[in-house]
Amino acid sequence: MPPLLEVDDLHMHFFTRDGVVKAVDGVSFTLEHGQTLGVVGESGSGKSVTALSIMRLIPEPPGKVVKGDIRFKGESILAMSEREQRGLRGNRIAMIFQDPMTSLNPVHRVGRQIAEPLRLHKDMDRKAAWAAAVELLAEVGIPQARERARGYPHEFSGGMRQRAMIAMALACGPDILIADEPTTALDVTIQAQILELMQEIQQRTKSAIILITHDLGVVADMADNILVMYGGKAVEFGAADDVFYRPLHPYTWGLLESLPRHDVDDKGALSPIKGQPPSLINLPPGCSFAPRCAYATRSCGDEQAGLVEMEPGHFSSCRFAGDAGFLAQFENRSSYLSDYAQRDSQ
Amino acid sequence: MTSLLRVDGLTKHFPVSHGVFSSRLGGSVKAVDGISFAIGRGETLGLVGESGCGKSTTGRCINRLHEPSSGSIEFDGTDVRRLRGRRLKAFRRDVQFIFQDPYASLNPRMTFGEIMAEPLVIHGIGSRRERQEQAKDMLKTVGLNPEHIHRYPHEFSGGQRQRVGIARALMLRPKMIICDEPVSALDVSIQAQIINLLEELQEEFGLTYLFIAHDLAVVRHICDRVAVMYLGKIVELGGWREVYNAPHHPYTQSLLSAVPVPDPEKQRQRARIILRGDVPSPVDPPSGCRFHTRCPIAQFPICREQEPPLEGKTGGQMAACHFAKPFPIPEDRMLGGE
Repeated sequence: MPPLLEVDDLHMHFFTRDGVVKAVDGVSFTLEHGQTLGVVGESGSGKSVTALSIMRLIPEPPGKVVKGDIRFKGESILAMSEREQRGLRGNRIAMIFQDPMTSLNPVHRVGRQIAEPLRLHKDMDRKAAWAAAVELLAEVGIPQARERARGYPHEFSGGMRQRAMIAMALACGPDILIADEPTTALDVTIQAQILELMQEIQQRTKSAIILITHDLGVVADMADNILVMYGGKAVEFGAADDVFYRPLHPYTWGLLESLPRHDVDDKGALSPIKGQPPSLINLPPGCSFAPRCAYATRSCGDEQAGLVEMEPGHFSSCRFAGDAGFLAQFENRSSYLSDYAQRDSQ
Repeated sequence: MTSLLRVDGLTKHFPVSHGVFSSRLGGSVKAVDGISFAIGRGETLGLVGESGCGKSTTGRCINRLHEPSSGSIEFDGTDVRRLRGRRLKAFRRDVQFIFQDPYASLNPRMTFGEIMAEPLVIHGIGSRRERQEQAKDMLKTVGLNPEHIHRYPHEFSGGQRQRVGIARALMLRPKMIICDEPVSALDVSIQAQIINLLEELQEEFGLTYLFIAHDLAVVRHICDRVAVMYLGKIVELGGWREVYNAPHHPYTQSLLSAVPVPDPEKQRQRARIILRGDVPSPVDPPSGCRFHTRCPIAQFPICREQEPPLEGKTGGQMAACHFAKPFPIPEDRMLGGE
């Protein structure tokens, strides 16, 4: 059986007056029912554009898929007609956004907005859709759902709005829920509530989740698999534990090392990644991380192969990822690795 | 340690009006409602809490960007609230600000050199040429190329702009810098660069920091002492080890347990306290202890009726809770166990 979702060497470029912006320049991953994929990377790494490409929400032009494919249950989304795509969007694949204030319509009642996908995709009449919307609001933990459905977005707090967004996304029982920084605008105690709600829903509905975030803590909490992106490219993909404890790309490793440690008393200087993120217009040829990479050699500027499976289910785009000497450099310095090794030996 | 800044009973209430056409005033937002703390010379005090808890307002009251409603602020032996005119201006030289958003806090029509020379112009220091030289030196100090003084903010990334924001704050050689969420707009790898820079500069210039942030991991790293705020009050105050390893206030405990740690194994094992509901409105805060509406250990009627004072607890820190006790979860799940 084909995977639920397969993104295969996707290249989404934007053709602007200033040049070609290679926002997504080689991204591959697969996703199955009940799985959560965490997509991490810095701003401008192409996380959101990947998500919007799956939703077919990138206006073309200026955007254009110049290479690669996106397949939903084996069928190419890119080859579908506009009409077929609409049948997927909001129905089989739904999305929630970072800022629940700007993604809800301020002049419509919340209940009506949640009922809208049901009327569109499930042919419900106004009354049935409203009743279903009230039920959905109750399901995502909004108290007094019957009254709140009649309220407007400005009457909801940030956390409640995000709950309403989730209710809307869940309305049609989607196979895939794409969450683009769903908790970034929220306080930690509210973030904990929303993450708990998403986990609860996933257990109940077995839907797959693509969780885009820059917060490695959130990924550690939620993800089964992790896709690490840098400069529009997928640089590492694998099971969460593998990516955290045995990173196979210097960028992933640098990202983990630059975090303040949460569990040791030694507060020595942090180890940031040097330099600045690349401009997507003038991406260097070859590995886009090479200019900031402590291990780069001259050959890193050559054409790269993209993600290569280094060990079962664990992919890296670094050409040295399989090099024993190179990996040893990580092991000597990474405290994450030493923790992991200790656990293994016990 | 002698304290550089001493804040006592600080309150800031913002009046709420009922719309543009009404002169009727209806209550006030109690943004900061009676807080006291001190910061020693060369020390970093972290001020943490969720949005709307009053941490930024506190920072702004200290250098009188907001006029406090009541309470006293003493900086380096002077009563800040009495300062007027020239003396207020002189005081502000000593207390500089670094803002959150490196895009909004730099004037897009000024070059880096002009931005950095501006504080010197305002305080009438040096000639044009001297100011330029100082700006160049300062750019070097914060890790940028001195030649960049002729360039504009839009040419640079967030991390580089934040370096200029820091350079500007340092131009007047202040004694203290109030950092209001200085790294929360930055990417993780850049965040670490800026945190390291702030620590190096503290060493080099003998700076005192008030570090306002919501990211508990960053605050743990950079701060010597931490104050946790909830709805305009400090609920816990102490050394970072005490507050992080053995938090006494149930709000601190919930906050720490709600932060996901970047370690899948640990994250699976951790016990979490998930607070229900939202933060109540600061216009009409709950009676008694303000946290009682969401508190997992509240007892009634005492928590609803009596406001707990901020007082010393067994761990050495202060906490404002009738039933404060050390964190009840096992050692291996503690954040930052020894």
